[in-house]
Amino acid sequence: MKVQKLFQKTLFGVFLLFLVISLSTSGLCIYTVDTYLSEEYETNSRAIAKAVADASVDILLNRDLSALQSLIDQFIEIQGIGYIYIKDEYGEFLAHTFVPGIPDEIGQIASSPDEAIERHIPGFGDFFEVSSPILDGVAGSVHIGMNSSLIALKVQRAVGQQVYLISSIFILGVLCAVWLVNLAAKPLGSLIDYAAALARDRDSSTPDHNLLRRPDEVGQLANLFLYFSKVMDPRKAIGAPPVEPA
Amino acid sequence: MRILTRRSALLSGMGGLLGPQARPSIKADTRASGVTDSSIVLGVSSAFSGPSRGLGIELYRGAMSYFQHVNQTGGIAGREVVLKCYDDGYQPTLSVQNTMRLVLEDQVFALFGYVGTPTVTRVLPVLKKFQDRQAFLFFPFTGAQPQREPPYDEFAFNLRASYRQETAGLVDNLVAIGKNRIAVFYQADAYGRSGWAGARRAMMQHGKRIVGEATYRRGTQFTSSMRAQVEILKKQNPDAVICVGSYAACAAFLRDAVDLGLRVPLANLSFVGSENLLKLISEGNEHSERYSGLLVNSQVVPSYEDLSMPTVREYRRLMAIYAPEPPPELLKEDYTPFRQSFGSLEGFLNAKLMVEILRRAGKDLDRTNLESTVLSIKNFDMGIGERVSFGPDRRQGLQGIYYTVVEAGRFVPLESWEDRFLT
Repeated sequence: MKVQKLFQKTLFGVFLLFLVISLSTSGLCIYTVDTYLSEEYETNSRAIAKAVADASVDILLNRDLSALQSLIDQFIEIQGIGYIYIKDEYGEFLAHTFVPGIPDEIGQIASSPDEAIERHIPGFGDFFEVSSPILDGVAGSVHIGMNSSLIALKVQRAVGQQVYLISSIFILGVLCAVWLVNLAAKPLGSLIDYAAALARDRDSSTPDHNLLRRPDEVGQLANLFLYFSKVMDPRKAIGAPPVEPA
Repeated sequence: MRILTRRSALLSGMGGLLGPQARPSIKADTRASGVTDSSIVLGVSSAFSGPSRGLGIELYRGAMSYFQHVNQTGGIAGREVVLKCYDDGYQPTLSVQNTMRLVLEDQVFALFGYVGTPTVTRVLPVLKKFQDRQAFLFFPFTGAQPQREPPYDEFAFNLRASYRQETAGLVDNLVAIGKNRIAVFYQADAYGRSGWAGARRAMMQHGKRIVGEATYRRGTQFTSSMRAQVEILKKQNPDAVICVGSYAACAAFLRDAVDLGLRVPLANLSFVGSENLLKLISEGNEHSERYSGLLVNSQVVPSYEDLSMPTVREYRRLMAIYAPEPPPELLKEDYTPFRQSFGSLEGFLNAKLMVEILRRAGKDLDRTNLESTVLSIKNFDMGIGERVSFGPDRRQGLQGIYYTVVEAGRFVPLESWEDRFLT
């Protein structure tokens, strides 16, 4: 049936539109959230590293290393911080938060104050690490590893929320489309039946048919069909055309 | 934990010390200082729950046995000593909260018998913040440096020797018998770092370095696996391992070390809780000597088996008489107390010295003269073969370190390092 095909095309169009919207906004969302969070994490972790480094000077010079450990133990409770370690100027670890031990990957390369590095530590996860010098580097450095998986989790959550919203709108849109198409399809079906009856020259061609009284395009088409049927049938009286040309 | 108001706490006996007949009459003007006509209130935040509860409970029991004895023999100038106890489960945040409650709300006379480095380290800034109230911390169960050094040394008085002294003694003795490759297994917090730093410092004095290290999280249970830690240390092929932890984790490490073939001397610090460690290793284990034979634990009090010392005899007698129970309102898990333990002996000595200080402070107890009273103590005989002195630059009473090993299922003094670990 023609109406069903029209319906299918409309539905397909709606689906295609939402697919494009969904993909493009999700992509944009991933990019925006990832960029924003990464920048914010890096900024925050640099600030934390600097705060620890500043606080460490007095402890390193005047106090026991247990005070230094106590200091970093308080910072490790901040969400997103995966690990903290402090090295002296010779590269020896003075305090850290690793359990069960310092991973080999940490010893191989350390971040510099100018550049963050990304690490994958088996058994620990993915991190990006920033650092800050203590007393301009002559007393060592503080290194903070931010958990990258937390960013990925937040991106997933943001995209998930967006997909959920778009899916809801999509379902609502499909329901609305079905209702609207059905609204249009019903008089069209009647019009097709009416046109077929005219072609067979049945009683439905009488001038008082309901369709002929409709003020919309369907009513106009019905009147046109009636007019043409009379033109083509010399037995019927011909009146004025039902629709004036535009 | 049940939250007590000042009045309900005092009237309910606080720590089970006061019977109904001994409840103090509270006067608003004197309560503010933690002293009434009939009582002196000391505040305690300690581990009464969690995997380290044995440390807090034993320390408390030892102190209570002496305080109960003093209270039943006339008290201090007619006043009974009352402990106002809160449980912190060996958690720093709870310890800080408890301390603020004790200082601000309960307004105790002094703080007494805290347990742990991560807890005490975090409490010290609180004491500095409220230094106008002169709430001194007496005899915490930790050998860490922060309360022994500026800027916080002025707020605490220590009785026991430091971890620095304990680790130095262990390293010196191990190196002396040729155990030069020393690794450290430690708790990943301020306590562990304190012991690690002490071992590192002592090794440097011998021109050596720690050959390996492994860590565990505070609160680890005996049932946890320490395989990863053992594997890390085995790679370094150590001659000995210094363990800086509490009994549950150290017992688990000992078990897995032996099972995985790391058969070297395993030295523990006094904080470990020797009896609880041995109990965990021995329970249901017919071959426990296979594990305990590797142990050498440093202690900061003499052996409770050494009956030549008058205070040890007194301790054993009073523990037998009073057999103090942990505060029932704080006890959340089962615990079977020991008749004697190094922890309770330390608590007993803490209480003995605290009573001496309170007696010297006189009838008009006042926090403002408390510090000068403590600093006046010179060559006080504790009855353990070591005299106690305090001074402006001496905030630690005892210096002695004792080494113990397991023989016939109990800790006894170590006679010879060579005989024990070289033959």
